[in-house]
Amino acid sequence: MNWDHYMEKRRKPLSEKGLREKISQILKEVDVVISWKMGFDPIHATPHFIRDEKEIEESVFNVFCVHNLTTYLPFMKEKVGIVVKGCDSRTLVQFIQEGLITRENLKIIGIPCSGVVDVKKIMEEIGESPVLQAEILDNSSLKIRTLDGEKFFQIDSVLAQKCKTCRYPTPLIYDHLIGEPIKSQIGWDKAYEDVTEFDKKTLEEKLSFWKKEFEKCIRCYACRNACPLCVCQDRCIAESRDPHFVSQKLELPEKFMFHFIHAIHLAGRCVECGECERACPMGIPVKMMKKKINYEMKQLFDYETGINVDDKPPMYTFKVEEEKIKEHEL
Amino acid sequence: MSQENKRELKIIGFLCNWCSYGGADTAGVSRFKQPTDLRIVRVPCSGRVDPLFVVKALIGGADGVLVSGCHPRDCHYSDGNFYARRRLEMLKRLLPFLGIDPRRFRYTWVSASEGQRWQRVVTEFTKLIHELGPLHGEKEKAFE
Amino acid sequence: MGRNGFLRKDRLEAYLNNLSKKGGLYVPKEEKGAIVFRKYSGVSELSLKKPATTPAKSIIYLQSETFFRFMFEKEGNGLDKVNVRIQENMDQEIRIIFGARPCDAKGFSVIDRVFIDTDTQDVYYKKRRENSYIATKSCDSPSSGCFCISVGGGPFDEEGSDAQFTEINGGYLIEAITEKGNIFLESELLEPGETYLEEKRKRKEEVERLVKEYCERVGKIEPLSPKLRLFSDEDFWKKHLSKCLSCGVCTYLCPTCYCFNITDEKTFYEGERIRSWDSCMFFHFTLEASGHNPRPDKFKRFRNRVGHKFMFYPERYSGQIACCGCGRCVRFCPVSVDIREIVLELMKSEEGGRE
Repeated sequence: MNWDHYMEKRRKPLSEKGLREKISQILKEVDVVISWKMGFDPIHATPHFIRDEKEIEESVFNVFCVHNLTTYLPFMKEKVGIVVKGCDSRTLVQFIQEGLITRENLKIIGIPCSGVVDVKKIMEEIGESPVLQAEILDNSSLKIRTLDGEKFFQIDSVLAQKCKTCRYPTPLIYDHLIGEPIKSQIGWDKAYEDVTEFDKKTLEEKLSFWKKEFEKCIRCYACRNACPLCVCQDRCIAESRDPHFVSQKLELPEKFMFHFIHAIHLAGRCVECGECERACPMGIPVKMMKKKINYEMKQLFDYETGINVDDKPPMYTFKVEEEKIKEHEL
Repeated sequence: MSQENKRELKIIGFLCNWCSYGGADTAGVSRFKQPTDLRIVRVPCSGRVDPLFVVKALIGGADGVLVSGCHPRDCHYSDGNFYARRRLEMLKRLLPFLGIDPRRFRYTWVSASEGQRWQRVVTEFTKLIHELGPLHGEKEKAFE
Repeated sequence: MGRNGFLRKDRLEAYLNNLSKKGGLYVPKEEKGAIVFRKYSGVSELSLKKPATTPAKSIIYLQSETFFRFMFEKEGNGLDKVNVRIQENMDQEIRIIFGARPCDAKGFSVIDRVFIDTDTQDVYYKKRRENSYIATKSCDSPSSGCFCISVGGGPFDEEGSDAQFTEINGGYLIEAITEKGNIFLESELLEPGETYLEEKRKRKEEVERLVKEYCERVGKIEPLSPKLRLFSDEDFWKKHLSKCLSCGVCTYLCPTCYCFNITDEKTFYEGERIRSWDSCMFFHFTLEASGHNPRPDKFKRFRNRVGHKFMFYPERYSGQIACCGCGRCVRFCPVSVDIREIVLELMKSEEGGRE
């Protein structure tokens, strides 16, 4: 898919030096800066908590920086500096809407992002062979050397699903911006095409699709724990024994129940950062349910998560007269 | 046996204590005949109804779920049913995405004096559920 | 060493069809996005190229099982007496696992020591283990993140397997390791395997060399000393584990993790006692009925995980490390927490840090 025409500016090399300088600058004002560094192999980045000048050297920003770093914020009591991409910044806005973070204790470095890769896809293509080296060539292709040999990928072909329909590549909230702002040409309809297309199927087709997907689910709760907005993980009703809402049996009805709980508790709060789907070890498209709810939120209440700090999440509030909800035909 | 002379289906009703439960009571006092498939759970306000109650009922064995509260602008607690309206509308639109017929879930507003309307609501809804058929088999649940 | 046999690749389907008649046959299947062990239903989706996403552990040590059902019944005329009738749920199914990896099988030997080699045996697990037959496929190359050689395993390791098969010369050389393993050789489709033993020996050397080279950066992992000062250093754990999400994926995909929870689930007059996997990474793991939690922080929980695998378990079970080096926790961790890095740093600190 050639998506040149979706992005105003093509992937530009980010000045990592500029990023490091900025981190060094804000480290003087905060206790810790959360950024990325390379992980256990050349195609995995990992969150990097910088408390000392010496640790800044390791920070990077590249197509492997897939994580949403804002997930740590609601539980941190210190002054924090954080590096965010476009999608991550929506989480910050949502946090502010819900009062989960204090804006004054936060220093935000925004990076306009042209997309990150789907590391799982790359791992699958290379047969999970150990990666020895990875190089980004002219910002459009990847050269990966494994024990089995070399493989080339066009970055566009291994781009993360969420990046293909990204509408906010430039962070919506920041104190400092590294790089030029990027504008997306993707409209709302295009972004939610997968939801509308799926909805066209018959009820039986949809049910059997979800039955097949949830069959794989092992209720490991990785999707819930990776979600930045699931802040009551430690007391989640899907797990608690008192009240005992969901059985411990590992059968389809219980799996359906857990996914409903997760999606409904995120109604009007999910920013579609995609961490849930990324964390799922079994490759279940968990983001779809939440995307559907977001679609309805827009239809019913003209609300989009994580855009305006002054908005109120629709499930927290009400209007006496609801334009879009038919009342007396019931 | 259900009025339809078929196997009685399980329909769960969440009724708000002040208006709808009163309305159902009025219907009973006035001796209005209704199908017996509906099993009522009394809640203080329709705002108490978590969309997950409805989901749990449907997955757990119910063939249909009915939620009824005070008319909007008439809630005993002023604004409980405004929240309910938003949540339940959201749920109604989510259910078909997972392959569950949204007609199996219905939310409505019935006040304490509307005995006849209550009878109509219950009769129509039960008829609809019988037309849609049981969600779960006799021995097997639908989501297994 | 028991008997052996050679199976040509084009006979694999027929062989597995026969094997499935002897009991429930579980093979790794490709299911859009993951490889899971499912009941055999044809070779089209069979996937042996890389290790399965979930280990074979869930076939013998079920993720959720009912121990027994209980029913409250009134006893005849005595209205005040209520009887409890218990209906045991003992699983008698024969399970045949074909296509696990040596690291998966090693996991069973870790779990066996806790559940079987003790005077308080877990009869449910024991029954299932006795009724199961495991054939592992030896590895052809290391996978990203694996380090079996560092913890005493290997791509051709035999611990925990009943039989092993190696892919060579357009087919599979199957060798029985235990008495039970002979079930895999009771097939007329097999040719004598003696002529392939030499080929297998060469392949074993080659792969072991490859894996050893890859594990070189990790080196040999020894059980940690209980007197390690760094182990109690909170800053050390905070530095490495700030990024952990407590998501639990590492424990659910680990072939050696065996912690569980028992819940009685009751509705009115009947119920079940269910045993399900628990994860030490969750807050609920150590949550007490009073509401107190001795491990409220994720650092403490991860420290417990490292301690259990590399310190407490070896201490209790004569030096065996409760880790098989499969690398799943490294590969599937959403934030790439690397347990190898942490253990190595702890080991190195030993030289200077003993109390």
